[in-house]
Formats: sequence, structure tokens, C-alpha cells
Amino acid sequence: MKKKLATMLILALTGTMVLSACGSKEDDGKTSDGKVKVRFASWDEAEDVDAQQATVDKFNAEHDDIEVTLEAYGGEFDTKISAGMGSNDMPDVMYMWNYPAYAQGLEPLDSYIEKEGEDYKKNFYDTLWNYNSYEGSTYGIPIGFTTHALFYNKDIFKEAGVEEPTNDWTWDDVKAAAKTITEKCDGKKGFSFQMKPDPYDYEMYLWSNGTAYVNDAGELEGNLNSDKAKEVFKMFQEMEKDEYAVATEKSGTDEFRSGNTAMYVYGSWSINTLKEDGVNFGVVNIPSFGTQPSVSILSSSGISMSKDSKNKEAAWEFIKFWTSEEMNKERIGMELPVLYSVVESEGIMDQPEYAPFYTMLEQSSDYTPASFIYESWSELSESLSLSFERVFNPSAMEDPAEVLDEAVQQ
Amino acid sequence: MKQKKVLKRATPYLFILPWIIGFLVFTIGPLIFSLVMSFFNWPLAADPEFVGFGNYMEMFTSDKQFFKSLTISLKYAAIFVPLNMIIALFLAMLITQPVRGVKVFRTIFYIPTVISGVAVSILWGWILNGDYGVLNYLLSLIGIKGPKWLVDPAWAILAVIIASAFGVGSMMLIFYTDIKNIPIDVYEAASIDGANPARQFFSITLPIITPTILFNLITSIISSFQQVTLVMLLTGGGPLKSTYFYGLYTYNNAFKHHKLGYASANAWVMFVIILCLTALVFKSSSAWVFYETEAGGAQKKAKKGGKR
Amino acid sequence: MKMSKVSKVIIYILLGLMALYFLSPFIYMLFTAFKTEAEAIAYPPKLFPAKWLWQNFKEAWNAQPFGTFLWNSILVTVGTTVGQVISCSLVAYGFARFNFKGKNILFMILLSTMMIPWDVTMIPQYMEFKMFGWINTLKPLIIPAWFGSAYYIFLMRQFLMGVPRDFEEAARIDGANAFQIYWKIFMPILKPSLILVGVLNMISVWNDYLGPLIFLQDRSKYTLALGLAAFKGVHETQIIPMLCITIIMIIPPIIIFIIAQKYIVEGTSGSIK
Repeated sequence: MKKKLATMLILALTGTMVLSACGSKEDDGKTSDGKVKVRFASWDEAEDVDAQQATVDKFNAEHDDIEVTLEAYGGEFDTKISAGMGSNDMPDVMYMWNYPAYAQGLEPLDSYIEKEGEDYKKNFYDTLWNYNSYEGSTYGIPIGFTTHALFYNKDIFKEAGVEEPTNDWTWDDVKAAAKTITEKCDGKKGFSFQMKPDPYDYEMYLWSNGTAYVNDAGELEGNLNSDKAKEVFKMFQEMEKDEYAVATEKSGTDEFRSGNTAMYVYGSWSINTLKEDGVNFGVVNIPSFGTQPSVSILSSSGISMSKDSKNKEAAWEFIKFWTSEEMNKERIGMELPVLYSVVESEGIMDQPEYAPFYTMLEQSSDYTPASFIYESWSELSESLSLSFERVFNPSAMEDPAEVLDEAVQQ
Repeated sequence: MKQKKVLKRATPYLFILPWIIGFLVFTIGPLIFSLVMSFFNWPLAADPEFVGFGNYMEMFTSDKQFFKSLTISLKYAAIFVPLNMIIALFLAMLITQPVRGVKVFRTIFYIPTVISGVAVSILWGWILNGDYGVLNYLLSLIGIKGPKWLVDPAWAILAVIIASAFGVGSMMLIFYTDIKNIPIDVYEAASIDGANPARQFFSITLPIITPTILFNLITSIISSFQQVTLVMLLTGGGPLKSTYFYGLYTYNNAFKHHKLGYASANAWVMFVIILCLTALVFKSSSAWVFYETEAGGAQKKAKKGGKR
Repeated sequence: MKMSKVSKVIIYILLGLMALYFLSPFIYMLFTAFKTEAEAIAYPPKLFPAKWLWQNFKEAWNAQPFGTFLWNSILVTVGTTVGQVISCSLVAYGFARFNFKGKNILFMILLSTMMIPWDVTMIPQYMEFKMFGWINTLKPLIIPAWFGSAYYIFLMRQFLMGVPRDFEEAARIDGANAFQIYWKIFMPILKPSLILVGVLNMISVWNDYLGPLIFLQDRSKYTLALGLAAFKGVHETQIIPMLCITIIMIIPPIIIFIIAQKYIVEGTSGSIK
């Protein structure tokens, strides 16, 4: 009895050893039928993945020698990519936005782009290349983007008898309208902004008022705590203090969708949901501070290649396919197209809910986010986030001037 | 004869062999690796750089968040661990009562444990939203202006505790199983002696389940220090970093700031703290945990006739 | 045991109050799953949906290959639970009923393995599994469970420590060896705690999405929990399908729990009824 068990255990032990020995054969990046294997990771949510799978299947059907497999990680994309990069096992091709954080693991694509000729690169909106590069090299091909714009609820404006926003609105106009709406419509707020804005996004307001977090040398002093920057924070805080704006716990989309707020500034992400809900909404440029046209941050999506990929040729083949005109057209409704030719042929600029995002894109071409300049941005971002919250959280509501001066000291 | 003796001495090791193999194959490698990492500046994709005790020095000298997060986690553990255990034990006692329909309640109390953490966190985010949340709406109906749960730092940690107490079912089930395994004749003997229910609980039930109390105490200390998912999804560490738990701090250092070496150092410091706490609990346990396998005590006598 | 009317009433009140706390978020979730998204976020909130949208469940289920995910989840859950119950009871028995050299140190090491958070051992673990060729298979999710996990070993050990010493002595006099005693005498009386370990493990594996997220790649290998997490996007979350799948995912564990609780009680013939 004892012997039997002992033998069994020993067998189990050797079993594991053999198993692990067998398993450790080197992966050569080929499928069993000799095709080149390309792993492609996306962050799209469940709803869009089926459409993505269909286009991946199409690519596979067109290429006898390549097999692309789609991996969809949704909101957990970053965790997965970090884990993959940390253990030297990244997908060959992946969606990408945070180039400063991941550039070291990515393949520079400039030589690939050059091979495709001048016109290939030119067809993309120029500004997008800046956002898909880091320290002089291009690491991603743009597949989509969004700028921010002002969303407003037409029904609420009507109810309050206030004229609808235009592309030329200043923040004073917003404040006046928000005040009237809050007074006239019971339980509704005129404007909403995020209590804990992502510092990456929030820099656009500083840009719009003629300043930034850091100068080209990466110094915070005199920039983040400049009078112009303080002015921006003060204005938002006052709107909240005077109670015609509400600082939302999340993005503000839910409050806007449910008709509790009349205006908010956000990316194109919410357009589909708003349409599905049947919200009667309009979109215009971000209001300006009156001195210069307003500027927006750019949230760009690109598609990148791992520098360790074993099948770079095939990976590039797939990237080319994924960024083609045809695919840009196919993704309309999920992403804003990034090619001049597609925007023109599909008449995107004639669609009032999309046009402002392109206007904002053009107005924002000369700005570089601090995340591309400041060395340890992710830590700075975390501490900025706390500073902003101290200004906007109703249980803190600290003086912006003091908070920003303090933030610069750290 | 000699062979038999060897085998006899080997018997206990044979029993624990599966774990030893698993430990050697799956656990010890990664553990040592992470310890080694903690002495390096270990970025995600570039080459690691040896920094000696640099990471540890940085934590104790220049990183303010380290002490803040540690304090938050200690505070959370100090409230959450006893509270959770009392609720679990209370529920376990309730569901052992011989009343009709108790089975249904047993299932009800267990349901929340089964719900996936992601959905639960999002749901609590809705319920606890200060301006548009269900809870404050209900409170407003009875004329109470609810606090801004997830916005006011004074309330946020309570909000996290309320949401995490929702998953008390596992601990309840552990207590329940243990209580259910107490032989009936122990109680009968006590009943004859004229002990009332409260006395019965304190002099019979409680001493007998001390081994599981020890288990729940230690595992919930560990899990309260490792709490990540809930705070990450519910509060994101806010408001004003008031729920920036140590677990979240470690996680963010690894996956947001990509400082793998530093995060490993964080984890190992936490390891030492938990280990000390656990050792303390174990040391004290000889005074309050009663094992049947140990030499007799007063409690033992009462149970001796116990039929299992 | 007899109970007075008053104490019965008190017990029902307590049960009711606790049930309110545990059930109301769940009921809110259940009803919300039938709403449109616009209704779900409306303020002031309404409990009942204007129209019960049963198709929400169908749409959610069809949004991803959940049939495949379900099968994978079942494989992982059953695979780990069987392994966990067998190995943990063996190891726990070894720790609880014997005295041997190095026992305390080994036990302390066992406990210590619970204290290092997964975030920092994950990357080395990934590299190890990659070396084994286990990445993108269900193996890393199942096989380690066959070597016991500290949590359940500790739990079983605590139960085993509660069994009187004279118990096995009688059997030993009859000439039974250690494994016979373990199998014939301890297994039957340990049935409730074996089931407990099974239930606890089942729930945590069923809902775990971090493991599958890190170790799996192809969608054909995903588990339900990972599919569920995919409804949460970077910017927007598809909350209604997420709630629908969450509710569907609750059903199997609840059924198993209802069956299991019967055995947890029945395991002890002479306990309080």
C-alpha cells in the first residue's frame, strides 16, 4: 500500500519533469502547416471584436503564407502588454498609444514607411505622426484618433431658452449659458467636468490659454504654476463653487446621457452610445479663452510592431493592410478615419457630429504633450492627478495657486 | 525491518510531497526571482541595472507614498479584519439556527461571494455615486442627505469596507462548516448543565472553532494587505489618495510606472510586515487556540465523548 | 434543541435585515440587466425596467463566443477543484497528524507563499511557463492546483487539528497503516471540509480573470471571466451585457452551492440539526 503510493508519487514527479522538458521546445513562430504566425493584440471591447475578427479572417484568406490571430484584451490591454513585454513575449503586432512607456520594446517603423513611398505617409493627417513617434523615431502607424470637443444637449438648451453653442464660443459664453440652464431647469447642471481629470487630457486647457505643464527643457517651474495655468484651474473651480457646473466622479458621460448635465467636453468615444440612447445632442469646438483658438489634446491609436517579432515582414504586411483606405472605411463608426483621402471620399466633414474633431485636430497641430517631454511622466501624472483633485474635489477645494506652486516644488 | 522503519519515518514527507514538488517547481523560482529583481532597477524592456539596496533605501527615505499607503492598509486591516470576522461568525451562527427557511438565507448570504469582482465594483460605483447614486437617492427619500461616498475622503474608506464586506460569504461558510461539525452531544451535555445560548456560544462553540478563527484571522490579514481589484475599480485609490492601499501602490509601481524592481521591493517589505504579524498571531495562538491533538484542557473534557 | 417563540422572531428579524443588505445590490443588478443602457443610468433611478428586455441576455451571450468560453471555464474549474481537493487533503493530513523534522519550518514556508502578491511573481512565472511551453494553453491554470495551494492546505489542516488524537490510535492498534487511516477513517469524517474546499476553489477559479488574461492568447482558449472583463473598455464600458453575463455566470456556482450545503450538513451525523 505504502509502496504503491510512493511509486505513484514518484511517477507524478517524473511526469512533471518530462512534461516540462517536452514542452520547452523553442517556438519558431510558425503554425503546424508552415504558415507564418502573427499575433495581433487589440484593446477593443467585446462589441467591436467580432467585426475585427472578420477583417482578420479576410486578411488570412488573402494570404496563403500568413496566419494572423486576434487577441482582444479590452480594458486590460495595458496589463497584458506590460506582462508580455516584461517577459519578452509580446504580440507581433499590437495597438498602441502610450509610446513613451513602451517605445523600448517596439520596432522603429521609419524604414518600413520609407519603402512605401512619399504618398503613403502624406495621406495621413500630419499631426498624428507626432503622436505616434517618440524621441525622433516613428513607432506606430495611425489607425484612429480623437480630439476633444464640446458636447451639448439640444433639448435642455431649448428648455432653458438659451441659444445653442457655436464653434466660436468662449468660456464666458459657456458660463453664462450654464448659469441660465442651472437656474431654469430644476435639478440640472449647465456644465460638467471631471473631478479627477487625466493630466494628459487636461493639458489642452493650458495650451488653449497659452501655457503648458512644462517647457521644452522639461521644467515645471514657471509653466505649470504660471498665472495663465492658475487662471484655468480657477475658472473651472469657480464654476463648481458657484454650482452651475458639477465635477463628476467618472468621465461625465453618464450624467450627460441621462440628461442631468447640459454640456461637457469629451472625446468622440461617447458618440455611439449617445446615438443609441437617442440623446438629442450637438458637438462644437472646445470653447476658447478668447485670446487664441482653442486647442485639444489628441488621443491617438496606432498599430505597432514588437522589436522581438520573429516575422517582421509578415507583421508589416498586416500593418499595411490594417491601415489601408479600405480598413479606414470599414472602421468608420468605431474610429475616426485618419487618411485625408477617406475623410474626403466619405464626406466626414459634412457630418456635424464628427467635423469638430477634425477642426480641433488642425488647430492642435503644434503642441506636444508633456508625456513626450517629461522624463518620468507616469509618476508626474500621478502626482498632478492628486493636485488637480485637491482643487476640484468638493471636500477639498484648495486654492489652485497654492496647490500648483506646491506641485512644482516636488 | 529496517526498511519498514525508514518508510515509517518517510510517511509524513510522502503526504506533503505534492506540495513540496509544487513549491520547488512552481513557486520558489519566481519567488527568488522577484527577490533578486528587488535589488535591480528593472524597467520593462531595457536592461536591468543593479542598485543594491537602492530600492529599499528609496522607499524608506524619499518615497512619501510608501508610508502613506502602508498606513492606509494598516488602518483598513485594523477595521476590516475584525469587522469581517464578526459579521462572518454572526452570519454563520444565524444560519445554523434550526428555523424554517434558513437554507434560503444561507444561499442569499452566499450569493455576493459568487459574483465576479469586476461587475461588483462597477455596481458599487453606481450605488455609491454621491450625486446620482441609488443609495443617496433612497436616503433622500427619507430626508437624509447622504455623504459623497467616493468623493469625501472621510467616507471613502468606509465605502470600500461596505463593498468588501459584501463578499463575507466565504468566511461565513468556513465558520459554518466548522460549527456544523461540532458533535451534538457536546451541546446536550451543556444543556443539561443549564447553560443558556449565550453561555453555550462562549464556552462551547467559540473554543471549539478557534482553529478556524485562527485561519480566518491570518488569511484575512493577508488579503487585506493585498486588496487591489476592488479599490482599483471602485475608487482608483482616491479620493485624494485616501484609499491608495499598499496593494494598489505595488501594483501601480509595477504596471503603471513599469518599475518592476521597485515594485518587487515593495512586495518584499510587505512580506516581512505580514510575516511578522502572522508570527505574532501564531505566537499568541497557543494561548487561545485549542487543538484536539494537543494535550488536554478544560474544553477537551466536555468534548471527549464527542461522536463525529 | 427547543426554541422559544421570541427567539425565533428575533432570528427571523436578524436574518431579514442581513438578507436585505446582501440581496438588494444583487436584485438591483438583476433588474438592471433587463433595462436599456439609458434606463440603467437614468436619475432618479427606477427599480423596475420599463420593458423586460430578455433579449439583452441573448445579445450578450452572442457578443462573444461564450459557448467556447463556458467550456474552457468548466475544464479549468473542474480540473483545479479535483486536484486541489486531493492534494490539499493529503498535504494537510501530513501537517496535522504527524510530527516530523522540519515540520514547523515547512509549515511557515507554506504560509509565507501566500504573502507575496501575485503582481511581482507573475512575470517570472510567465517566463517559467513559457519555458514549459504552457503559454496559451489551460495548463498553467490547472496543473499547479494539483500540487496544492497554501490557502486550502492551511484550512484543511485547521479542521484536521480539531479531530481528537485517540481517533487514529484505535485504528493503529487494529494494524492499519497511515494511508489506510487517512483514506478509511479521515476521508469520511472530512467530507464536509473537502466539499468546503471544493466549493471555495470553484468560486475563485470560476471568477479569476487575471490568470487567464496573462497566460492565454487565442480567443478560443478564453474563459468566461476573461470574456466578461472584455466588456470593460478603455473608455466606455458596456454595462448591460456585462451584467447579463455576470448573472448567467452566477447560476452554476449557486446550483453547486445549494447541492453542496446539503453535504456539508450531512457529513456529520451527530451534529445539531
